[in-house]
Amino acid sequence: MASKVSKLDEQFKLDAPREKPKDGACSSIFTGVAIYVKGYTEPSVDELRRLMMLHGGQFHVYYSHSHTTHIIANNLPNSKIQELRDQKLVRPEWITDSIKAGHLLSYLQYQLYAKQKGLSFPSVSVHQGQEPAGPLHGRHLPSHSLNNHNPAPSLGQPLPRHHTPTSSHSHLHTDNLHPQPKHYNPLASHRSPHLSAETFPSNPTPLETNSLSANPIPSNYAPPNHDQQSAKVKTGGIISEFYSHSRLHHISTWRSEFSEYVNILRSLIWSNPETIILKTGRWSAAPGPQSCILHVDMDCFFVSVGIRHRPDLKGKFVAVTSNHGSGRVAQSSGVDRQLELQCYHKQYSYPAVSERKDGDLEEITSSETESHISHGNSVDQDTAALSMAEIASCSYEARQAGVRNGMFFGQAKQLCPSLQSVPYDFQAYKKVALAMYETLASYSHDIEALSCDEALVDSSALLAELSVTPDELASAIRADVRERTGCSASVGMGSNILLARMATRKAKPNGQYLLRSEEVDDFIRDQTHHLLATHQPHTQLLCVGRSMGGKLASLGVRSCGDLQQVSLQQLQKEFGPRTGQTLFRFCRGLDDRPVRSEKERKSVSAEMNYNIRFTQVDEAESFLTYLSIEVQKRLQGAGLRGRRLTLKVMVCKAGVEQSNYSGHGTCDSLARSVTLAQLTDCGHLIASEVIKLFHAMRLKVQDLRGVGLQVQLLEGAHSFPKDPTGPKTCYVRDKLLAQHTPAQHNYTGKCVCVCVCWLPQGASHRAIERPLLSLSLQIRHLIPPLLTHAPVRKIVPLPESCPPSPLPALHRLLSQSQGQVKESRHVSQDTCCMCVHVCLCPCQVDRSVLEALPAELRERVEHPWTHRDTERTHNWSHQRPLHPGALVLQIPKQSGQTGSTGIILELPDFSQVDLEVFAALPRELQEELRSVYGHRENTHGIMGKNTLENGPSTSPLQQDDPETLSKFTPCPEPTLAGACDFRDIRTLLREWITTISDPMEEDILQVVKYCTDLINDKDLEKLDLIIKYMKRLMQQSVESVWSMAFDFILDNVQVVVQQTYGSTLKIT
Amino acid sequence: MGERRFQHSAHNTSTSVFSRYQCAPYKRHNQATTRSSGCKQIYRRCSHQKMTTLTRQDLNFGQVVADILCEFLEVAIHLILYVREVYPSGIFQKRKKYNVPVQMSCHPELNQYIHDTLHCVKPLIEKNDAEKVVVVIMDKEHHPVERFVFEISQPPLLSISSDTLLSHVEQLLRAVILKISVCDAVLENNPPGCTFTVLVHTREAATRNMEKVQVIKDFPWIVADEQEVHMQEPRLIPLKTMTSDIVKMQLYVEERAQKAS
Repeated sequence: MASKVSKLDEQFKLDAPREKPKDGACSSIFTGVAIYVKGYTEPSVDELRRLMMLHGGQFHVYYSHSHTTHIIANNLPNSKIQELRDQKLVRPEWITDSIKAGHLLSYLQYQLYAKQKGLSFPSVSVHQGQEPAGPLHGRHLPSHSLNNHNPAPSLGQPLPRHHTPTSSHSHLHTDNLHPQPKHYNPLASHRSPHLSAETFPSNPTPLETNSLSANPIPSNYAPPNHDQQSAKVKTGGIISEFYSHSRLHHISTWRSEFSEYVNILRSLIWSNPETIILKTGRWSAAPGPQSCILHVDMDCFFVSVGIRHRPDLKGKFVAVTSNHGSGRVAQSSGVDRQLELQCYHKQYSYPAVSERKDGDLEEITSSETESHISHGNSVDQDTAALSMAEIASCSYEARQAGVRNGMFFGQAKQLCPSLQSVPYDFQAYKKVALAMYETLASYSHDIEALSCDEALVDSSALLAELSVTPDELASAIRADVRERTGCSASVGMGSNILLARMATRKAKPNGQYLLRSEEVDDFIRDQTHHLLATHQPHTQLLCVGRSMGGKLASLGVRSCGDLQQVSLQQLQKEFGPRTGQTLFRFCRGLDDRPVRSEKERKSVSAEMNYNIRFTQVDEAESFLTYLSIEVQKRLQGAGLRGRRLTLKVMVCKAGVEQSNYSGHGTCDSLARSVTLAQLTDCGHLIASEVIKLFHAMRLKVQDLRGVGLQVQLLEGAHSFPKDPTGPKTCYVRDKLLAQHTPAQHNYTGKCVCVCVCWLPQGASHRAIERPLLSLSLQIRHLIPPLLTHAPVRKIVPLPESCPPSPLPALHRLLSQSQGQVKESRHVSQDTCCMCVHVCLCPCQVDRSVLEALPAELRERVEHPWTHRDTERTHNWSHQRPLHPGALVLQIPKQSGQTGSTGIILELPDFSQVDLEVFAALPRELQEELRSVYGHRENTHGIMGKNTLENGPSTSPLQQDDPETLSKFTPCPEPTLAGACDFRDIRTLLREWITTISDPMEEDILQVVKYCTDLINDKDLEKLDLIIKYMKRLMQQSVESVWSMAFDFILDNVQVVVQQTYGSTLKIT
Repeated sequence: MGERRFQHSAHNTSTSVFSRYQCAPYKRHNQATTRSSGCKQIYRRCSHQKMTTLTRQDLNFGQVVADILCEFLEVAIHLILYVREVYPSGIFQKRKKYNVPVQMSCHPELNQYIHDTLHCVKPLIEKNDAEKVVVVIMDKEHHPVERFVFEISQPPLLSISSDTLLSHVEQLLRAVILKISVCDAVLENNPPGCTFTVLVHTREAATRNMEKVQVIKDFPWIVADEQEVHMQEPRLIPLKTMTSDIVKMQLYVEERAQKAS
C-alpha cells in the first residue's frame, strides 16, 4: 500500500509539470498543502487535482492522517463528520477562491459544517470571561451551554457586521452619518445570534408597510394592477419610475440636498479670496464660553404647509394624510385584514408610532402611545373597515384631541370626528423648506441640515459678531421664517446640540426657549424622563433605542435623573465604552458634537419594497441588475466607491394574504452581505455579486416582497465618471500656464512635478477640497515654492502674509489664479481640470535667495530636499507602495536626473479625459499620460486597475511585469495620505501639526482611520510610536485644539484596541 | 473567532484527565519528524550545525517556520524570566544567540519544562493553529500581573525565495530579543514571589493535535482557568512587530494596572 501511495505521489509530481504549459496560470500558492477529496465535489475531483498541480499543492488519492492537511468535501454523512471532526474539513471553494485571490486564504471561512466544529468545542466562541473550565472534549456538555455560546448560526454566513441599525428615516435612499463611527457598534460587539437577527432587518419595515402602501398613487402612475406592475418589474423600468415618483424618497433625499445646498453657499464664500482669511478665522473660532446652538424646527411642518393658503383651516383639527373621505374604505374580499392588523400590532407594539418625517415625534409621550395601541385593539372590529391611511402629521389642535402622528386615519376619525384631512403637497414642502434654509443661510453658514424642516445653526460666532442676545436672534429668525414661508417655526437654544433640541420641545409650538446653563440640571431632570421611557423611539435625542431602553429599565433607570446616578463604569460595562460615555454625558446635558454642515456618507443604498412580485428567477436577476445600476448612479453621483455589499430581501410570511396588492404586507426581512476585493462603483460588478448572494439565500422568488441593496465601507473616488450628457468643459490650465509657468521657467528652467486632478461635474466645494487636501498633504514638499508662484525674488516678503496651512495656500493660489473661473464652476457646475505646476529643484533655486529667507521657512524648504536626497540614494527601494490605480507622474529634468517625488493621484478612465485639455498639456506630459493609458489597456483585463509605475528608469519597479506586480499586492500596508514608511508619516504629522492651527475634522478622522488600520494589520509597535509622537507634538502645541484632537484620536484608538485586544494602550 | 486557550502549569493537577489517552501510539508522529529531518538542520534547538541552503522542493514550510519560531521562543522565554526577575539571577548564564548576548537558565528542571512546553507548541505553529503564545507572569495568588504575548500570523505571501539564508529573519528576531532585554524600562516592577505559566491561544480544530503531542511526553495541557486568563484593567504596551517572508509576529506586553495588590 505504501508503495502504491508513493507511486501515486510520483505520478502526481510527474504530471504536474506537464500540466503547467497547458494553462498559463500557475503558481505555488498551495505549497505545503495536501488535500484529500471525499465524495462528490464541485468542481470535480479531477479538476481539483489539476488545480493542485498547477498551484504547487499536493493531492492524495488515499487519505493519510499525517500528511494530508485538508480534506475537501461538499457534504458528508454524519458518521464521517464524527470521524473526521478534528481534521480540517474544507469546502472546495477554498481552493478556487484562493486561486482567484492569488494567495492562500485562511480555510476558516470555508470550513464545512462549522456547526459541528462548534459542537465539539463548546467554548470556541466564548467571550473572555465566560469560559467553562471543563474537560477538553465537550462531547457531553449540556446543550444549554451550546445555545448560549455557540456562534454556529453565524458561522456559515458572514454577519452584516458593520451595520448600525439604519434609521427608517433615511433607509429608502442613502444613509447619511450614523452617530458613531462605523467600526464601533455597541450592538454588534455584544450581539448574540438572536439579537443579530433582529437589529438589522426589522428596522425599515414600519415605515414601509404603512406609508408606502397607504400613499395615494400619483395620477400619472399606473393603478396597482398586479399583472401590469409585474410586467414593469420585468422590464426594469419600474425602478427609475419608482424613485421618480416616490415622494417619501424625495423627502428623505432632501436632507442631503439641503446639506449640499449649505455647502454650496459656503463655497461661494471661498471663491472670493478676500474673505477667505476672515471666514477661516471665524470658523476656526472654537465654540467659546458663549457657544450657542440654535435648533430651528418648523411647527407641524406638513400641516402648516398644507394649510398655508387655506386660512379657513387654521386652528381646526387637521391631519395630513392620503385619505380624503370619511375614513372608511370598501373591504376587499378574501383578505384577512384582521390577521394583518394583528401582525402589525404584534410586530410593532413597541414603537407604535413609526418615525415620521416631520420630526415632531418628540412630543408623543409613551403613555399616549400605549393608549393608542390599546385603543387600536379595542376597536378591532371597526378598524377592519376603517381607512388604513396613516397620518403623517396633525395640527396641535388635533393632537389635543388625541390624534397622533402615525395613527391610522380611520381610527383618528373616530377619536375626533371633525378631523379634516389635507392631501400631501410635495412641491410645496420643498419650496417652503428651501425658503427656510435660505432664510437661515442669510444669517449664518454654519448650518447642519437635519431634515426638510429642521436644522441646527451654530450661532456662537454670529452672536459675538452682532453682539445680540440669543433670544433676539431667535425671534429675528422666527419672524423672518414666518414672513418668508408663511409657517411658524420654533427655536430652541442651548449651549450644545442636545440642549438646543431639548429646548425646542419646550419652545413648541411657535415659540422659542433658551436653555440656560444654570437651569440645565433641573430641566433635564424633569424634562427628559419622557426620553427614557421605553416605548418611544428616542433615537433622535438621546440615542436610546428599544434594546437600550430595555437594558436601562433593567438597571432601574426610568428617567435622566436615575441615569445620572449610574456610574460611568457601570454604563460603559453595560453599553460599551463609547455608548456608555455618551449616555453618561448626555444625561448631564453634555454634548460635544459639533454642528457639522458636511457629513460623510456611510452607505449608499437603493431599496424597493413596492410592487415586487416575481414569477421567474431571471426576473429577479434582472431586477437586481437594475437595482445595481441605480446604486451605481447614486455612488457615482456622490463620487464614492464602496467595498461591502449588502442585499436585503423581504420575504412574505407564509400563509398571510396581503390586503394591499402592491405593498409588501407582512414580511420577514433577511440580509446578506459580502465584502469585495476592491472598491467599486460599477453596477455590473455589484450586480454579479448580488446575484450570487441572492442565489446563496435560496429563496422562492414568488415570495419576494422587497429588495434592497446597500453599499458600505465607502471611500471617495478621486476620479469621477463623466456625465453622459457631456457638459461644456472649462479648465483653468491655460490661465495657470499663462500666469505662472513662464515665471517658473525663469528660475527652474523646467517644471518637475505635475499633478492633474479631474474634478467632477457638479462638484461641490467639498469635492474639490478633498483631492486638494490629499494633494496638499502629499505635496507638502512642494508647498513652500508653491506659495511663491511668483518669481523667486518675491519669496522674501511672502512669509508674513502666507497662510499657515497648505490648504488655504492652495485655495488662495487657486482662487487667485482662477478667479472667475471658479466662480462659474459653482454656478454652471462644469467639469474642471486643474493643473498645478510646481517646481522644486534645489540646484536651481538661487541659494542667496534661500539664505535671505527667515530661518523657519528656509528649514521648510530645505528639509524636503535632504529628505528626498536620502530617498534617492536608496534608489527608490523604499518607495511607498502605490494604491492600485494610482499613478506617479514624473517628468525628468533636462539634465536627465531623477525628478522629485511624484504626486500620487488616481487617473480617470481614458474615455473621461477631455481631449481638449489633453492637447493643451505640455508634450512630455502628454507622452507620459499616453504611455500610462497604453499600459493600462494592456493590463486592464487582468485586474481592472493595476499598479502602474511610469517613472524614470531609475525605478526598479518599472522593470517588473505589471502583471506580477498586481498579483503580489493583495493587501497593501495601511497608509496615511499615501505615506506608509514611519519616517514619512512622522514628517507628515509634524508638518500637519506645526503648520495648521486648527485641524480639520476630516484630517483627524483620517489619522484615526490609519491607526485603526494599523491595529487591524497587527502593527502595534508602529501605532505606539505614532501615538507617542503625536502626543508629544500635539500636547506641546500652543493651541488647545490640538490636545483636544489628540484626546479624540486617543479615545478612538483605545476603543478599537480594547475591542481587538481586550486591553487599552498604556500611554506614558 | 473561536479560540481556546491552553496552558501548561508547573503543577500538573489535571494529569488524570488525560491519562487514558496515554496509550495512543505516537510512532507515526515520530516517523514524520525523522522523515523530514534532512531539511531540519537549520536552526535546530541547541544545534550548531552549519547552515544548509534551503531548497524549495522537499521543504515543509510549516516545519521550518515552527523550528525557527520555537527556537526563538525558547530564547525569549528564558530572557523574559531573567529580565522580569521571576527566578533569581543566579541561575542564569550569559550566552550568545542571534549574535547578541542573552540569558539562559541553567536549572535543568526549568529548562526541561520550557523545552517540553515548546515541543508541544511546535506542531501547532507548524499547522498555523497557534494564534498567540503567551508567557504569563502571575503573582502569589495566581492572578496574572503581566503577559508577554507573541502574536503569530502568516504573512500575506509565504515565500523564502528572497531570503535563502534567513539572515533577514535572524535580524528581525534579534531586534525582538533586544526589545525584550530592555523591556523593564517600560514596565513596572513585579511583586515578589511571582510564578509563570505559558498559555497558547489556538485556532479552532487544534485540540486533537494538542492531545496527540502531550501524551507522548507525559506533559498534558489543560484549558486555561478564567482566573489565569483574565486580567484586571490590562494596559497594553507594544514592544515589537516583525514582518518577514515566512512569519509575521508581534510582541506586546499586557500589564495589570495595579501590580502591587
